[in-house]
Formats: sequence, structure tokens, C-alpha cells
Amino acid sequence: MISCRNLTRRFGDFTAVDHLIFDVSPGGICAFLGPNGAGKSTTLKMLTGLLPPTSGEAIVCRLNAAARSVTLKRRIGVLPEDLGLFDDLTVEEHLLLTGRVYGVSHDETRARAAQLLRALGLASASRTFAVACSHGMRKKTALAMALLPNPDVLFLDEPFEAIDPVTSKIMQELLASAARRGTTIFFTSHILTAVERIATQLILIRGGKIVHNSLAGDWPKSLEDLYFELVESPATEDLAWLGSPQS
Amino acid sequence: MARIAAILRALAVAFRRDWSSLVASGANNFLLFGMLFLQSAGLFLYLIAVLVLLLPASSDPLRTIPPVRLALWPLAPRERRLLRLLSPWLNPLTWLLAAVFVWALRGRVTFGLLALIAGLFAAGFLLSDLPVDPGRAIWRSIPSIPGPLGSLIRKNLREILCTLDFYCALLVSMAGLVWRISAHQVPPQAPIVIAIYVVLALSSHAQGLFGLDGESGFVRYRLLPLRGWQILAAKDSAFLLVSLLLTLPSAPFAGIGAACLALAVGHGPSVKSRHSQLRWRFSPGSSFGTGLTQVVALTLAAAATAVGGAWVILPALALCAASAFWYGRGIESASW
Repeated sequence: MISCRNLTRRFGDFTAVDHLIFDVSPGGICAFLGPNGAGKSTTLKMLTGLLPPTSGEAIVCRLNAAARSVTLKRRIGVLPEDLGLFDDLTVEEHLLLTGRVYGVSHDETRARAAQLLRALGLASASRTFAVACSHGMRKKTALAMALLPNPDVLFLDEPFEAIDPVTSKIMQELLASAARRGTTIFFTSHILTAVERIATQLILIRGGKIVHNSLAGDWPKSLEDLYFELVESPATEDLAWLGSPQS
Repeated sequence: MARIAAILRALAVAFRRDWSSLVASGANNFLLFGMLFLQSAGLFLYLIAVLVLLLPASSDPLRTIPPVRLALWPLAPRERRLLRLLSPWLNPLTWLLAAVFVWALRGRVTFGLLALIAGLFAAGFLLSDLPVDPGRAIWRSIPSIPGPLGSLIRKNLREILCTLDFYCALLVSMAGLVWRISAHQVPPQAPIVIAIYVVLALSSHAQGLFGLDGESGFVRYRLLPLRGWQILAAKDSAFLLVSLLLTLPSAPFAGIGAACLALAVGHGPSVKSRHSQLRWRFSPGSSFGTGLTQVVALTLAAAATAVGGAWVILPALALCAASAFWYGRGIESASW
């Protein structure tokens, strides 16, 4: 369902994403992990057609992502890094806009929007303008927009960050059940417990290169240990002035 | 006192930036060409622009500090009172008001004028401090619009209502209506000229159609399964609707023709050199050349309807559609 062949993106002399090769099968939940600046969001932008690759190609739903066709856009749902919300629309209006633009019937859009608002704990804020929403509410709105058209593939950039624990759990269950019904999910995250709970495939990236790619069950140790070993180990510097009597 | 001085210094920097965005209207067509054409007779237009600018310019400098941050700072009640007392003097209008007050005492200006200026200043100052829920504001109350692009058109209308250009156009339109009703003899060309000035006031917004969407909005446009021309069509529909409503009292056909040409010229800079715009400011326009082209085009279109009749808006609409189709491809191929 998702296939990357030597996917590369350079910004001047800096190589953000370096010859990525991987596949995600239909119905898979692929977690794409790495530290800040590793190239996760850049990869996601190339997979969703927001950014053209410097070389290589990304194939999604058998379509070249770089072509940015309307056909591909109709088949994918995206939670982008900066959420992509309009300040001048309310939470509910964002969902109605999505239904109309993706060709979902009016009644079906209303029904799905109401369900999503309830499921994600947005019902009480449905008439709040995006500009007045908290970051968590904005993220949930963007996620609801990604889910509403029932896409074949979901690309989610840090879906569990800045979300309350209950909604996070609900989202994980929603995604797992959608994947069981055939939706392919590709997501980035720093919440390792959520990754362990739902991911069926794990890709670790460091400095724009893949350092690990395996299916669930093939992980040799705990995800946290694997991450610290292959990606980045925590090195803390003591701030001696912190906690000492104030000068 | 050191704490208050530090806060006032930071406030002065923040407020100066806020103010410079207010007066940096650059190549705004209404401010630039309105006066250029009318010269000394353009005083009335200047008055309208000043009136529209006065409310946001009178804002409370202290509001540039987020209320939560202000509440968290370890300031004694005496220091907070001092800050409240001193911060309004960071606004140049406070000094102007003080000067007018002194002139009134010396009899150089009337107390009526002083009261008018003070009233407007106080309104702007107090309004900026009101904890208004943006969702309940009148400019958000746009009814739902049917069709696949309806939600986008509604959003675009809300954006236009958050620019000072709209309120300038509204004042010109209302002033024109009052004049036509009250004047004994109105020259036959007057409605066309009023329509031109209404569209002129709106036209700079057509050079930065994505200015109020921000990067986040533009990302969403790129993700939606819409062609570029459809996104521009939603922008154009909102602009044309506002132009039609504001030119209804004068010359609606001339207004629509002029608005179509303003959009046809404005699509290019809107897509190619996307610049962000602040709410409650004049649209800055992209360049003097684009503005001049836009003004000439919209004036010719409005004049052509006066000579050739309403059918002239058909080629104007065709030009606008062709431009939307051409530059819409730029939205589809844009990357960052």
C-alpha cells in the first residue's frame, strides 16, 4: 500500500532524508520513529505529496505521491505536522467542509461528524472557532478531518502528542479497529507505549537513514531499549543551579 | 521599579512592531492611488482611512502581554497599578490626545473636537481590552453556503470582514449612498466613480488572497482533493459577493466588472508571492506595479460597463476565470 524506493530529500547541502527503502502492506500500522530533526515529518510530507522528493519515489495506493493527483488525495487522510486548520472555521465546520470536498453525502457527513465529535470528546467544542481551541482540541479536529472520508491510507504526524490519556486510548482503539478492516496507517510518534500497543511494523530513522525496520514480534527487546540503543541514548547534564538556594 | 522599567521596555518594542504593522500598508491601492487620483480632493478618502485606522491604533499597549503571563509575573499590586498607569503612554495617540487637550485649553481647538477624538480613542482603547469571544463576533455570523465549496466561501467571507479594506469600502459605499440621496443633482457618472472607489478599497486584498489563511491553511488547501482553480474560485466568489453587495447602492455591474479585473490581476501575486497578513490591518498589496495594473484594469472595466452596458462583465468574468485556471496550477505545484 505504501512503497518507498530510494526516497531522498535534500535542502541545499543538507540531506534530510537519505535513500529510504521500505514497504507497508495493506492493513498494517507502521510506526515511524526517530528524534526531532531525524527526517520523519519530511518523509511524511513526501508520502502525502506536500513535498517533492529530490530523488527516488514514493508510491501510495499504487499512485506516485509526487504527482499530487486529486485521485490520490481522495484516498488518503492526513494529520499534518501543523494541523492545517483554518482560523475562521469552527470545529464542526471543518468536518462539514471535509465531507463536502471529499464527496461524502450530506447526511453521511453529518452522521460521521457527530460520531467523531463524540468519540474524540469534541462535542462541547463543536462551535468553537479553531483559533480559539486549545492545541489538543485542534489536533483532535485535524484527526477527525483525516478520518471522516474513510480513507484507504492514514498518515498521522504525532497523533498522540498533546492529547489527554482517555482520548489517546480511544484513538488507539479506533486506529487498531480501522486497520483490522483494511485501512493502512503510517504514523510518527514519541509515545513509545502507544507504539508498542498498536504498531504492527516499526521503522526507526536517525539522521535521515533507516536504522531498523521490522514487524511486530520481531523486536529483539523492549521498544525503549531498542530506541535508546539504535537511535539516541539519554545523556543528561546536571544543572547545578537548579534547586540550589536563590541568589 | 527595575521590573516595571524592563516590562515597559519590552512592551514598547512589542507595541512598536504592532504599530508599524498598522501603518505599513505599503502598496495599498486605496491609500496610494485614491489620493494620487484625487490629490487635494482626496481629503475625504484620507479621513475615511484615518477613521478606520483609529480604532485599532487606539488599542491598549498592555494587551500585547498575554493576560496569563501578566498574572504570573511576581509584581506587587503597587507595581501593577504603576504599569497600568504608564503603559498607555507608549501609544503615540495618547500623546496626541494630550496635545489636543492642551490646545483645547488654549482655545486653539474646540472642546467638541477634543471630545470626539477622545471618544474615538477611548472606544478603541476599551474595545481592545474587552474579553470578546471571537466566535460570537458579528463578522463571524455568516450563514451557511450550499455547494462543495460553500464552507470555503464562508471562511473567505469571514476573512474579508477582518480586514480594514472592507470597512473602508463600506464607508465609501455608505457615504456615496447618503450623498446620492441628499444631493439635488448627481452627475450621471457619479455611481460608476463610487463603484470604482469601493472596488479600489477592496482591491489590495485580491493581491494577497491567502494572506489570512497562514501556512496551516495553505497546508490544508494542498491536502484537499481540489484543483487549484477551485480553491481560487472559492476565494473569488467571496470577493465578488462582497463587491456586489457594496456596489449595489451605486453601480453593481461596474462593481462586478471592476472586481473581476482586480482578481484577474491579483491571482498571480496571491499564488506566486504568498505573504501573510494580519487581521484588522489594511491589505499591504504586493507591489506598486501590480497595484497600478490592477487600478488601471478595474477602472477600465468599470468605465467599459458605463459605455458598453452590463454585458461587459462577461469578458471580465472570462478573464477572471482564465486567470484562476492558469494560476490555480501554481497552487497544485507549490512546495516548501
